[in-house]
Amino acid sequence: MNAIEFKYITKRFGDLTANYNVSFAVRKNSVHCLIGENGAGKSTLMKILFGIYKPDSGIIKINNVEKSFDSPLDAIKSNIGMLHQHFMLIEDFTILENVILGSEVTIKYKIDFEWSEKTLNNFNDKYNLGLNLEQKISEISISEQQKVEILKLLYRNSEILIFDEPTAVLSPVEVKEFYKIIEKFKDEGKTIILITHKLHEVKEIADRVTVLRRGEVVYETEKENLDINILSRKIVGDVILKNDISKETVMINQEDSVIKLSNITLRKNGHDILNKLNLSLHNGEIYGVCGVEGNGQSELVDLIFGLEKKFSGYLEKNTNKISLVPDDRLKKGMIKEFTIGENLILKDKNKLNITKKYLTGLTDEVINNFDVRVPENSVIMKLLSGGNQQKVIFAREIELNNDVLIFSHPTRGVDINATAFIHSKIIEQRNAGKAVLLISSDLDELLSLSDKFGVIYKGTLVKEFSSELENIQNETMKNKLLEKIGKLMIGISVE
Amino acid sequence: MEFLLNKKLKANIVSISISVVLTFLITIILLLILGKNPVVVLGTMFGEVFGSGYGLGQTLFKATPLIICGCGLAICFHASIFNIGAEGQLNAGSFVISLVAFYFSGLPFILLFPLCLLSGFIVSGVFGLIPAIIKIKKGVSEVISTIMLNFIILALVNYLLIDFFAVKSTVRTEKISESFMIPKFSEYFQMFQGSSLNLTFVFALLLALFTYYLIYKTSFGYKLRAVGFNETASKYMGIKNNKIILLAFFIGSGITSFVGINFIMGYKGYYELGFSNNLGFTAIAVALLAKNNPIGVIFSALLFGILDYGGLAVNNIVPKEIMFVIQGIVILSILSVDKLVEKYYG
Ligand SMILES: Nc1ncnc2c1ncn2[C@@H]1O[C@H](COP(=O)(O)OP(=O)(O)OP(=O)(O)O)[C@@H](O)[C@H]1O
Ligand SMILES: [Mg+2]
Repeated sequence: MNAIEFKYITKRFGDLTANYNVSFAVRKNSVHCLIGENGAGKSTLMKILFGIYKPDSGIIKINNVEKSFDSPLDAIKSNIGMLHQHFMLIEDFTILENVILGSEVTIKYKIDFEWSEKTLNNFNDKYNLGLNLEQKISEISISEQQKVEILKLLYRNSEILIFDEPTAVLSPVEVKEFYKIIEKFKDEGKTIILITHKLHEVKEIADRVTVLRRGEVVYETEKENLDINILSRKIVGDVILKNDISKETVMINQEDSVIKLSNITLRKNGHDILNKLNLSLHNGEIYGVCGVEGNGQSELVDLIFGLEKKFSGYLEKNTNKISLVPDDRLKKGMIKEFTIGENLILKDKNKLNITKKYLTGLTDEVINNFDVRVPENSVIMKLLSGGNQQKVIFAREIELNNDVLIFSHPTRGVDINATAFIHSKIIEQRNAGKAVLLISSDLDELLSLSDKFGVIYKGTLVKEFSSELENIQNETMKNKLLEKIGKLMIGISVE
Repeated sequence: MEFLLNKKLKANIVSISISVVLTFLITIILLLILGKNPVVVLGTMFGEVFGSGYGLGQTLFKATPLIICGCGLAICFHASIFNIGAEGQLNAGSFVISLVAFYFSGLPFILLFPLCLLSGFIVSGVFGLIPAIIKIKKGVSEVISTIMLNFIILALVNYLLIDFFAVKSTVRTEKISESFMIPKFSEYFQMFQGSSLNLTFVFALLLALFTYYLIYKTSFGYKLRAVGFNETASKYMGIKNNKIILLAFFIGSGITSFVGINFIMGYKGYYELGFSNNLGFTAIAVALLAKNNPIGVIFSALLFGILDYGGLAVNNIVPKEIMFVIQGIVILSILSVDKLVEKYYG
């Protein structure tokens, strides 16, 4: 039986067709993966299902009954829940308050917190979420915020669950945890639609896969016939970009670090967020940092970037020309109400007479050079697809031509081709003699790009690798290294 | 191609038109409830405003300070600074303008005028810096600090005026030299005979253009709005948020002092206690109605000017206070219609 059927769904934004004649079915009690390049129309289709957008034409059937939702509220009433690509939580509310918001259970107009808390704690235990309901959203990590969103879905009795790129923000360990939760959902008879750019995840979890390209369904396959190579070709339409740029030897003088952190300790609310951390960045070198989110990565970035000043230890900066692609693009990377062009000029020195023509020119350049897919040149950033927003931010930071570049999860939410492109750009920067700090939860990315590589745990770089990275073409060596790193990341020391 | 932009403009025009119509409807109902004939009341009002050069002149004269003050506030509001302190700020600046114009009577106008602008700007601006600094250093909301500062500034001006500078047994300063008075429109156009409309109106229009340019065409303007939209992101983009907030407060508050030009140099020749008549608060509504767009400020100031002068005209038919009610209705309907239209235009 089908839980959901899309029939001839078309959705246009102005001249842009985000979905065209999309038809496919999602079996009840299955995991259905929806994949495709950035801007292919995945999020749009899900927003239509969830009642955020109305389709221009086409119908949706839920459990074989035609439904038309005017708002997410209607969708929630039909037991559909959605975890958005960008979370929708209120920073100053506690987890409990966030979860019950909009569906409060009341006794005589008073919210029944006790009952809510009990219910939520039940879910918390059952799915091993490990959340403390009293904490505020502003105090918890991204992966915990995601769990809050999941808790929201559970609290609202969702039977059909939509996940828009849930794993983009998770470290490998957390990804595993997440898929355990998904398995559990399936065991309970729930239906799951999942969007991701990571094909090995698809291979592992999907019962059926649908591929969208430029708004249309171009391929569909069942678990049995699933082949990653075919999928990736279907996604990009047979033009696979090769990561064709390779590292060149850059003469570096190990003595001359561009940025050097010695014995840095950063205390916040009684915790050592960074703890006697040592790190130096050199010209022509990519330094990779990996770790579970919340072990001091974002503070490390803030500190180097110059936003965190209350630390002890010694920070030596030989330049102030630092580019940054931040971890949270919506919160830190852009003004979402501004157009692409307006976002590009925010880092300019003082300039008078900024004309529309100037902005359009800048925008076109970035659109062409970085293959950003947009409905039109003067679109505001909010309306770009997630991956395309990321490309704009990346483009801006590269074009600044700074001495040091910090990339925090540069390919988060970015499709295969664009990932290859971004990787080649990063290497290009390195080859040009820039110092690069790369923070990522994607170990493959880190291992293939880094010249040096450190594992961060509880604010300390617990181990640094460099020569080991030369043999990663060798499968067994690589796996050995990965195993080591995996242990270090969760605080188990290795020799 | 630019469908989003056109869409936004279209949405704005639609929402403002609907609001104006809505306001008229509600006003008519209100007048009916009061037992007045709406045709007579509205007819008299518009007849007064548009029927003669004098009425038109007076309306533009009333709109002039609203344009000026609305522009200053628009700068603050774009940075998400809710400055409720314009009333105090503009009084301090205007007071100083009147003193400068009086005591530097030896200067030629060509030097004196910029000196007046500068001194008024600095004094009002500095009073704007106080809440800015408290906000930055201590995190105190500017809404509270600027409201409170209004009382303090007004009391201070009051004290200085009465104890040191006022003409005996009045609450006004000495009259400035006749040669410093800004020409009236009526000197060039016969039709404005008797009206106080003066060249400050042109100054206000230029100021609006300048403010528009500042906000929408310069790096500073972009940074200002970036901070207003998202302080965290701005910080990560290397914008010095505190510097922007200080500047926005300083420039925005400083501009409010120019309303004194209209009253002192364009009209009475002196600063007088209570001259502003809550201008600093009305200008908040003017800026909001214009969505903080300085060109829009011109039009919303005109609307308020019409209500203000038209209110006087129908004073003997309906209570003047009805104009405040209408002002309130305009704002409420704009705000609510706006949300609806926004939703419709997605
Ligand atoms: N409200 C909107 N107005 C205008 N254009 C929009 C709107 N929402 C989405 N789009 C455009 O529709 C296209 C599809 O966007 P969508 O977010 O569905 O892509 P996606 O497949 O989810 O991509 P990604 O993998 O990058 O998240 C994009 O080009 C986007 O800019
Ligand atoms: Mg998306």
